[in-house]
Amino acid sequence: MIRPCDMMTVSLARLIRDGETVFHGVSSHMPMIAVLLAKKLHAPNAVHLNIPGGVDPAEPELQSWTSAGGELWQTACAALPLQEVFDLSMRGGLDVAFLSGVQFDQHGRVNASVIGDYHRPKVRLPGGAGSAVLIPTAKRAILWRTKHDKRTFTEKLDFVTAQGHVSDIVTPLCCFTMHEGELILKSIHPYSSLEEVAANTGFPIRYFSADFTPEPTAEEMRALREIDPRDLRNLEFR
Amino acid sequence: MDKLCSIREAIGSVPDGAMIALGGNTLNRAPMEAVLEIVRQGKKHLRLIKTAGGLDVDLLSLGECLDSVDAGFISMETEYGLAQHYRRAVQSGSVRANEHACYTVISALRAGAYGIPFMPVRGLQISDLRKVNDYFADVKDPFGGETLAAVKALRPDVAVIHVQQADARGNAVIDGPKYDDILMSRAAKRVILTAETIVGDGFFSRNEVKADIPHFMVSHVVRARLGAFPGSCFGAYGPDDRTIRKYAELENADGLRAMIGEGGGV
Repeated sequence: MIRPCDMMTVSLARLIRDGETVFHGVSSHMPMIAVLLAKKLHAPNAVHLNIPGGVDPAEPELQSWTSAGGELWQTACAALPLQEVFDLSMRGGLDVAFLSGVQFDQHGRVNASVIGDYHRPKVRLPGGAGSAVLIPTAKRAILWRTKHDKRTFTEKLDFVTAQGHVSDIVTPLCCFTMHEGELILKSIHPYSSLEEVAANTGFPIRYFSADFTPEPTAEEMRALREIDPRDLRNLEFR
Repeated sequence: MDKLCSIREAIGSVPDGAMIALGGNTLNRAPMEAVLEIVRQGKKHLRLIKTAGGLDVDLLSLGECLDSVDAGFISMETEYGLAQHYRRAVQSGSVRANEHACYTVISALRAGAYGIPFMPVRGLQISDLRKVNDYFADVKDPFGGETLAAVKALRPDVAVIHVQQADARGNAVIDGPKYDDILMSRAAKRVILTAETIVGDGFFSRNEVKADIPHFMVSHVVRARLGAFPGSCFGAYGPDDRTIRKYAELENADGLRAMIGEGGGV
């Protein structure tokens, strides 16, 4: 049986191309593991950037409580602190930023700030972290969200924390991609269906061909277990 | 000049209403001993600056010490989840959340450090954050004509930073990730240091590795072994699961004060 966390991590990794500069932030175990997976398999020259500023950490001993800790620094080859990763994006040098949020609309806009009014919120969310400047300036912003329901994928956001260069969104049910400013269904995970995706999405699903996402290969799963023996890619589902 | 003093004396120098920047990132090397002392002393109306905060911001919210928080992200990351005390304080209206992108906190501190009133930033102009916050504005490039977002400078009254090593004069080195702490030390009007280890006079003069923070920016130095507890400190210790979970279960400021006591640590 394929677990959503494995399908999502593998899907995120497959979006990274060899040689790209790639950044992830806090609360980002799944994309952190995806970057390490891509570097181990098809993208050995991808450049792993992160908040502690350790460039290309080699076989880091991942921690459950942070994706921005010293383990990403200890075995790195160079220092590029967060401030300078942002600077890199500002001048057009960041290829991929992994980000998330709480609500997404059909135009790939993201809310990570509030439910309700900004100044008197019903729910105060953690905030968009780097999103508001990285989504518009990175060449591609790849989003992930471990919830896929009608409140998450909705026609009307309470607040637009960030918009811009969203290229893909990976969920437990499917992969979306952006096409001419609209989110379209790219592939459905093998254990889901078009009906399930449509029933859990708050805007009409559009697609060219609704193929299934290729299952994680034996090679991908073997590499995942090596990189992440403690199964931290599943943290958001626990 | 010897600036070694107790945590009580160091935090005693911070007046109510001060703008205070905290070093570290989420549960990584946050100045927790200083944070708990702020709660013990019952400081009020502090205006907090941080790029990505966690337990520090949460406990200062629970302790009713804050008026506002300028930050890009407040959470204890995935394993320990949302900063519920902070969240409740914002939702009840007692703390004002001034949401930034992490980079706009950095840009505001850079403007403060550079001695200029604002910093232009790319990308932010198409975020709703630009519209609803008065510390952002539009600015036109006087050379090319492009419109960018401007971020208002932040010049904290004090930066509180936990380091692995400092000498009694206030020269300090941060091992491992430095996060935004060096910038904070430059942008702030002064620095309070807590240090795992106090090294002898002349340590940095004899050493190839020089201090990241020079003494003349520092007003107080506190010996604070486990000064980031129950968070982590690079090269020294990881987070303490039990204590973090106990803090999360507290219900109000009285519960927090009872837990951390009058004088000592937890």
